[in-house]
Amino acid sequence: MAAKDTLTEAVQVEFSNELLSPPELLHARSRNHKIPVKGQKDFLLSGSEQQRAALQKSLDEHWTLVAEERVERLGNLVNAEWIPEEKLVKLQTPAGKFWQTMGFSDRGKQCLLPEEALYLMECGSVQVFYQDLPLSIQEGYEQFLSPETVTLHQYQVFGHLKRLGYVVNRFDPSTVPTLYERQLNLPLPRNKQTKHLKRKHGNSPLGSRLFNKSHCDKRSTLPVEETKPAQQCEGEIMTVDPRLDQTAPDQAKTEQNPQDELMEFNTDLDRAPRRNWWTDTSSQVQHTLGQHTSARPWDFSCIRFPDLGSSRAGHACLAAPDPKLLPGALQVGECEVTPWLRKLNLKAERLSRREWERQRERDRYHRDINNDREVRRCRNWAEYLELMEKRRSHQFKKRPAHLWEQDVIPLAQPGQCDSHRDLLEQVSVIQSSDLLHGASRLPPSEQWRICFNVYQPDTVADFKKSHPGKPYTRMCVCSFDGPVPDLLVMKQLSFQSGDVPVTFAVVDHGDISFYCFKEFKLPTDIY
Amino acid sequence: MDRENRAGERGVETLRNGNAAAERREEDGARTESDRDPDTERRISISFCGGAPFLWRAGDIKRAREEDGVVGALVGCLARQPRQNVRLGRPLEVLQEEACLLLERRRAAAVQHKDNQKNEGSRLKAVQVYQARLERSYEEQCHLALEDKKAVLQRVMNEEQNDHSGNGGTEQAVRERLSSLEKNFCFPRSAMAVQLCTARAGFGHCPEEFSFLSTDWPMPRDERSETRFRVYRDLRRKGFYLTSAGKFGGDYLVYPGDPLRFHSHFIALCLSMDEQSPLCDILAIARLGSNVKKTVLLCSPRDLSDGEVEGEVVYSSLQWSGMV
Repeated sequence: MAAKDTLTEAVQVEFSNELLSPPELLHARSRNHKIPVKGQKDFLLSGSEQQRAALQKSLDEHWTLVAEERVERLGNLVNAEWIPEEKLVKLQTPAGKFWQTMGFSDRGKQCLLPEEALYLMECGSVQVFYQDLPLSIQEGYEQFLSPETVTLHQYQVFGHLKRLGYVVNRFDPSTVPTLYERQLNLPLPRNKQTKHLKRKHGNSPLGSRLFNKSHCDKRSTLPVEETKPAQQCEGEIMTVDPRLDQTAPDQAKTEQNPQDELMEFNTDLDRAPRRNWWTDTSSQVQHTLGQHTSARPWDFSCIRFPDLGSSRAGHACLAAPDPKLLPGALQVGECEVTPWLRKLNLKAERLSRREWERQRERDRYHRDINNDREVRRCRNWAEYLELMEKRRSHQFKKRPAHLWEQDVIPLAQPGQCDSHRDLLEQVSVIQSSDLLHGASRLPPSEQWRICFNVYQPDTVADFKKSHPGKPYTRMCVCSFDGPVPDLLVMKQLSFQSGDVPVTFAVVDHGDISFYCFKEFKLPTDIY
Repeated sequence: MDRENRAGERGVETLRNGNAAAERREEDGARTESDRDPDTERRISISFCGGAPFLWRAGDIKRAREEDGVVGALVGCLARQPRQNVRLGRPLEVLQEEACLLLERRRAAAVQHKDNQKNEGSRLKAVQVYQARLERSYEEQCHLALEDKKAVLQRVMNEEQNDHSGNGGTEQAVRERLSSLEKNFCFPRSAMAVQLCTARAGFGHCPEEFSFLSTDWPMPRDERSETRFRVYRDLRRKGFYLTSAGKFGGDYLVYPGDPLRFHSHFIALCLSMDEQSPLCDILAIARLGSNVKKTVLLCSPRDLSDGEVEGEVVYSSLQWSGMV
């Protein structure tokens, strides 16, 4: 404005005309708290006296409501101070009931975020001072709301939801549990929530975070190319895609594909020594293969099945774990198991006749994997995986060569499908994709971000700021003047939100509409 | 105005600019509706927050609605019952077009608060004024509360006397309480009522605000907003009330009377004369309109060079015509 000072003129604003006198202040305490009912609207302007009177009555009520000023007992007000440098409001007197769902403590000081403070000012709970003078609500709007804190639109959505009783927090992407954490049902670390208020809304590279988090070898200093196969192998250990081998059977076997490499045996005696639970000394098969995968921390050929409990276990010592697998400076030596074994009851189990029969009954339908001779012969995970692989490929042996050993192969194999649905899925060339497909690799958007976590009003009673739990929904604020979110944005936001739905709050000149996009699965009636 | 007079009688000092305000008020009183001079009358102040025009004072909001048909939308918590969304309170967010019209008619001034209070001395002075005002308010409220209590006891006493039931004991007790009240009355500071101002109260922070001319308008005036404004102005001239129609997919909802009492009749869609619009869009919004019992109006301002004087804006609506 400084440059345009020549164009400006001072305007006298009547400050005093909305200030109440002491008698008016006292009188305001006993004023009516009811809101007049609006009544049915008319469609046509009839010009009748009745209609005119009804309008006048509505208008009179309207102006009474609009002109009313907030008057509170001094004792009911919480005093606070606006700190523009930190964009925070610090409380000077103890917080009220609102503290259960709003505010946070910073170095022993109770603080409110600007939007919380402004809302509480509007509710007549908090009086905010700046330079020892009280701020009006107008000043609150003009000073607290900015692109660095929350924008006007965001505040309007915040206020709308707060008035409806929802608990509303700022959203911080780093507090969303990763897919891995959700699968394990891991509780959120406490500090994550309490600290998040101080953190900036940085766009953390979410994709890589998820990947790193879900594998424990985050600390390993290995280059990415080296760790990746290992990770893949770990993550997909049970779901190795059979089609991979189907399409390129020779390739997979002959090439030194890192994935296969891992499945190779490694019987270097230093690394996977002597005996273990699954094998007898007599039936031990010696494999000697050159590939040494010592560089990879998760080398399945080296991770042995532990052998405790067995009376046949000759040695009473567990080898020291590979230091590469241990976090930080942790040192773990050999573990003497003899004292532990002494504590175990090693006597053979004696079953009564009835128990015996019951077990046999059970075994008829349930095959214990330990009873499988071939499985027992495996000495480590790699051998076990190899066995499983061998069995799987055995199924495909009888396939006619002219069909299967060419570039183009059938999409399905007879006997492989149990139902129409299975078959249709196998022959579908274009896979159907879901909303989250590939979303983890998308970079976070600059323009679109989630603003608030919203918790339902009925959870307020036992809401804890330190453990807010899973939100009911998350809010993304936009306006009718701006663009419509495209599929890319939807993917990013719903991926960022995890398993919580995202709602779009569209602000239109003070009027707010809420929309959400739901993935729709077309119904199929083929089974 | 009434309030101010009462305050004057009680000797409450109006703030800094009290004198000027009082003078202006006299002018207001002398002037009648018919000879309003836009240059001398007090203008409605529009202040901007996040690019949106806001009216903060109840008086401004009322004048804008009654004299200029500016409806806008209340967006704040209602003072009386803040925690509900059925009726909202100040501030009033107005449409850009409403603000433009008020400025064009010189009925309003866009006001920007200028924080030029860098001076520690003047700040301290302002704080002193505020504290003194608070103290005075406390004393007066204390006095008023005592009077209130006395009046209640007095009334009880009178009733007793008129009762003639001969029970002098209660009358005596009330008389005693009345005299002890005189000595022991205590009005705790926490019971004092304070006002949380809605509009800028000018507690010495900075009593001046500055208007800026429409060349400094915070929103750029592009072709689209120009179209919208001309449609708005024309519909307003025809006596309709308008609000935003975002959730109906249009530009304005058009009401025959005050939206407080009437349903809207039309959804206005502003299109410039030469704008191409896909037929399916028109069909979609016409369908939507008939679903909510409103007529969709396509509004296009006429080219200014046309020279026709029939009307500034051309209105058309779509109607299904059944051919049997």
